Amino acid sequence: MLKIKLNRLEVQVEEGWTILEAAEFYGIEIPTLCHHDGLSDYGACRLCIVEIGEGKDAKFVSSCTYPVEEGLVVRTHSKKVINYRKLIIELMLARCHTSKTIQDLASKYNVTSVRFKLKSDDCILCGLCTRMCEEQMDARAIGFVNRGKERKITTPFDIKSDVCRTCGACMYICPTCQLRCQGPEPSGAVCGGCLNIEYPCLDVYDDVHCYLDPCAACLLEESRKKKSTSNTEEKNVFNKD
Amino acid sequence: MKFLDIDEFKSLCSKIRKSKEDKSNDLCIIVSSGTCGQAKRSLAVIDALQESLKKHNLDKKVDLRITGCHGFCQVEPIVIINPENIFYQNVKPEDTGEIVSEAIINKKVIDRLLYVDPKTGKKIKYEKDIPFYQKQVRTLLANNVLIDPTKIGDYIGIKGYAALCEVLKTMKAEEVIYEVKKSGLRGRGGAGFPTGLKWEFCRKAKGDVKYIVCNADEGDPGAYMNRSLLEGNPHSVLEGMLIGAYAIGSSEGFIYVRHEYPLAVKNVKIAITQMEEYGLLGKGILGTEFDFDIEVIMGAGAFVCGEETALIASIEGKKGEPRQRPPFPAQKGIWKKPTNINNVETWANIPLIINKGAEWFSEIGTEGSKGTKIFSLVGKINNTGLVEVPMGITLREMVYDIGGGIPNGKKFKAVQTGGPSGGCVPEELLDTSVDYESLKALGSIMGSGGMVVMDEDTCMVDTAKYFLEFLQEESCGKCLTCREGIERLLEILTGITEGTGKEEDIELLKELGELVKDTSMCGLGQTAPNPLLSTIRYFKDEYEQHIKYKNCPAAVCKEIISSPCQHTCPIDTEVPVYISLIARGRFKEAFDIIWKDNPLPSVCARVCHHPCEFKCQLGKFGDPISIRGLKRFVTDYALKEGFKPSCKTEKTKKEKVAVIGSGPAGLTASYYLARKGYSVTVFESLSVLGGALAAYIPGYRLPRDILNADIKNIRNTGVEIKTNVTVGKDILFDELRDKYDAIFIATGAHKSLKLGIPNENTAGVLHAMDFLKDINLGKEVKIGKRVGVIGGGNAAVDAARVAARIKGCEKVFIIYRRTINEMPAIKEEVDAAIEEKIEMQLLTAPTKILTKDGKITGIECVKMRLGEMDESGRKRPIPIKGSEFVVEVDSLIVVAIGEQPDVSFLDGNKFEISKHNTIVVNHETFVTNVPGVFAGGDVVKGPNTVIEAMSSGKIAAEMIDKYLQGKPVVREYKVTRPSMYIEPVELTEEEVMEAERPAMPCLSVSERVNNFNEVELGFTEQAAIREARRCVRCDLETGDGKKQFKEEVENVKNKT
Repeated sequence: MLKIKLNRLEVQVEEGWTILEAAEFYGIEIPTLCHHDGLSDYGACRLCIVEIGEGKDAKFVSSCTYPVEEGLVVRTHSKKVINYRKLIIELMLARCHTSKTIQDLASKYNVTSVRFKLKSDDCILCGLCTRMCEEQMDARAIGFVNRGKERKITTPFDIKSDVCRTCGACMYICPTCQLRCQGPEPSGAVCGGCLNIEYPCLDVYDDVHCYLDPCAACLLEESRKKKSTSNTEEKNVFNKD
Repeated sequence: MKFLDIDEFKSLCSKIRKSKEDKSNDLCIIVSSGTCGQAKRSLAVIDALQESLKKHNLDKKVDLRITGCHGFCQVEPIVIINPENIFYQNVKPEDTGEIVSEAIINKKVIDRLLYVDPKTGKKIKYEKDIPFYQKQVRTLLANNVLIDPTKIGDYIGIKGYAALCEVLKTMKAEEVIYEVKKSGLRGRGGAGFPTGLKWEFCRKAKGDVKYIVCNADEGDPGAYMNRSLLEGNPHSVLEGMLIGAYAIGSSEGFIYVRHEYPLAVKNVKIAITQMEEYGLLGKGILGTEFDFDIEVIMGAGAFVCGEETALIASIEGKKGEPRQRPPFPAQKGIWKKPTNINNVETWANIPLIINKGAEWFSEIGTEGSKGTKIFSLVGKINNTGLVEVPMGITLREMVYDIGGGIPNGKKFKAVQTGGPSGGCVPEELLDTSVDYESLKALGSIMGSGGMVVMDEDTCMVDTAKYFLEFLQEESCGKCLTCREGIERLLEILTGITEGTGKEEDIELLKELGELVKDTSMCGLGQTAPNPLLSTIRYFKDEYEQHIKYKNCPAAVCKEIISSPCQHTCPIDTEVPVYISLIARGRFKEAFDIIWKDNPLPSVCARVCHHPCEFKCQLGKFGDPISIRGLKRFVTDYALKEGFKPSCKTEKTKKEKVAVIGSGPAGLTASYYLARKGYSVTVFESLSVLGGALAAYIPGYRLPRDILNADIKNIRNTGVEIKTNVTVGKDILFDELRDKYDAIFIATGAHKSLKLGIPNENTAGVLHAMDFLKDINLGKEVKIGKRVGVIGGGNAAVDAARVAARIKGCEKVFIIYRRTINEMPAIKEEVDAAIEEKIEMQLLTAPTKILTKDGKITGIECVKMRLGEMDESGRKRPIPIKGSEFVVEVDSLIVVAIGEQPDVSFLDGNKFEISKHNTIVVNHETFVTNVPGVFAGGDVVKGPNTVIEAMSSGKIAAEMIDKYLQGKPVVREYKVTRPSMYIEPVELTEEEVMEAERPAMPCLSVSERVNNFNEVELGFTEQAAIREARRCVRCDLETGDGKKQFKEEVENVKNKT
């Protein structure tokens, strides 16, 4: 067992844990994108960064890849970390704003605008699919190709693969292609927020429609109600009645 | 002959060293032939030398040693003749015959091949006396001169492998590590991690199998230190690796060298083979239990593989992608085994530390940064090359003392250290010490040693863009912040260089830059924003110029400037348009284009200091286009043919504007206001029009009738001019305020400043402006036979050239306290003054005026020398004590050191006046703090140029118009574009070969004596067309230009 300082709390952690695992154990939520419990850690999306060290030795590392060590000082929610997380999400949105996962992150961390040109790419290059294919499905059919701006995920030499079993695991795990955002502004930079606190769908239905993951409708319904004063189109977000 | 015993090997080494010592007085020709030398034909020089030696039957008697780089790449190939050590530079194959016959056989020195010190003009025989080498401490590079890298014997001869023997025989591994730690050596690859400590980590790491690596990937553009060490002295690196392997407990090493270094790879492989032959590699080295093998692995063209974890991945055959650390390579490196990676230069220092001791090493350098560092000093610098300096030397010493300063008289702007991961350091910080901590504190890094010098023609925004483009290409793309971050930084920056930048961009760049710096996984991403962040920190105004004013001061960013000439012209004259019209013989159209933006073209064609020519693209590698000369041709032609500017004007507006002063600012403002339809009245206190143009500029530069021809055209727009009316005397300023709706003050700066030396008020001492004015107004001026002129600006040179023309004057001196290169006067004027036999007393300052019987007899002066830089960016002149002397002059001295405006006529009004007596205005709109009153020209800027005054007049007219129409008085800024694109001419191959800038035909010196006839005569039509055809048409290189021209070509095609 090792002792580390997690957000000013002195805690005990197992040797071999990553900072992310330690934080999860103590109930501290750190956002991730390219991390998955069943796959090896890659450290590409940088969303899980935390601040370690103190004073002028402080630096930022990805918590999913950094192993805990005796005496480590970790701040998961320092001011700089919060601001950096928002900017990272903003960069993600600028690349793949059609991804529900990324839009969810945006609304959760209060990213309301994107100051960069939208690229509308399909792939965030998180590498979940390649690791899934290699580590869980043992196929190694796809991988990263090229450098920098040209980086993409494909089969060797873009040739149809003999080892791909079309199992679909890559699509299953992909954060950008699994669920196209169905929100009210799918073509905009920020869709408007998928997380809410009230359930206006209960005005219409007997059960909440989104179970554990609230859907966009709510907050939007509120703002729509606020906006429309003399509109004839009084339909709610569900386009009912 | 594998040696299986240390002592046996040592005794061979002793024998070799002794025999080298015995041969030290033998004839030897040393030729530098690293990659740099080979690029300048050193191989041909070597072949020619060998042939020549054979011809004279000397090939067996004279040793020909082919070495690597000697460091002074600017003058490669270098040939040194031993034993005398004579240093010949820039040697060509044709010179070799003379070298053998004269230098070798006749033992003469060949003067023309010696290095010439540009400061003194003296020829230098020995390397140690050449300024480039003097401040260097070449503990590593000096050996390049002494050995042929392909001969292990040469290396042994300079004590090579003595360190290895010492280590194997007498030192334990821990003792070696202790010695390296004690020396204070820090990694030379860029991060500067203490080497001894790194070795210790690796030694202590668990595991039997350990690897050591030499990182020779050297990807920084412009850095070639490692290349020169590997090419010129590979054994020093290999010996270092052997010692390191012994200390760490490794038996396998790799040299990871970039693919693009064929000569380095070749020489390293030869060295390894020779080591194997001697038993210095393999099992049981020199009979000990130490085994070691080295493999050379070549990179595949990725800059990111210089990063150690990416390098490890590459050695393992995987994609060159960095991974997170910890675990560090010292714990888990290649194939997960403990690995120690060091840079080439770090390894090369190890044998030195063992041989000479850690104490010796730690005495060089500073407290935190010990030893020497090799830098590649490149860019806008006179002495390009590899320099090895002790840590702690200042950047200023490197740029000026070693580098020899900036070529072509350009001004220093910044020095970039550390390659694409480094930052730019501005002039104010040049006294920073070169060491790890100091450079980091500035926002830069030491890096692997690249040092790129930049001058006034470098755009810092463009530089940041260049490095970001490089890093975007080279980023592995794994982590989001580096990949997306750099791409977005580049996107925003590109917008700024294209004129679409917004105010918020700078803050966004800083925010995003900090993110990339702090959160990227590897060193590439973490240092990628450095060039951008450091340029924003030190050159923020340049960014603001691009964003707010759509101005690129260095005239580099194509989409903003279109062509540098038009962009730099303060009145935005469409230079490429009228030049291309001249090239096609369309002179009337050229005239119209010029008149559109310049109402005093014949004047400018004679007296403008042509900032356009200083930025002409052709000037970067040849002679700029003679733009002023071409303008002169058009205006002369127009005068001859009677062309009139096509601008009919009518008084369409009811407002009246008063302009005070008929100088270039006032005339320009009146012209544009009249064209807008206003009633304009100009008040001129003299009897002649033109302000300084008529009163001060001598007739041999600007004939009065030429000036009046331009003024006549201005008057034809309906401008009313009242001469002999002095505002403040003949009419009060307040009266003007009552009568006129707006006022433009353009009264110039004509009050001479006193020099402040004793006896300045003696009879016979004249002030330059008064002198010139009296001459120009036709008054009789008496001066003596020997005239002294103090100063180095245009007024001084004008005064000198005028004095020289007056009958009775026999000798004129110009006394200036700095050198000729620092004189602010226009270079053509200075050259003409020298032609006209005016004597330049340079580095001389006056201290006292000597008089007898109330008349001048001479000036006491003191000699000056140039010391440190002052705020004006020039070296401060310091008097040399005891060097006083007298310049004998009789009757007259003309004193000219600067002028101030006379604003007494504004008394009683609440104008803001600066401490230099200039009127304070908004620098964009020229409004004063008094509503309705504008001011421009020298009365606002102090003594300045004609074209700057015209520019303020032109802009003020636009602002006055806005004011009178009730619109907001703000400037609108746009990128520079010409109003039309003329099809370019096609030159024949012959024309291209023979193209050169024509000299301006002038009166011969004898024809100028005692008269004020115009000296410059102007180009012939043929010469003008020829010169106009030389223009490379930068205006066609913007997106607009390319599109336009494509359209026109399409149109022409469609018509035919």
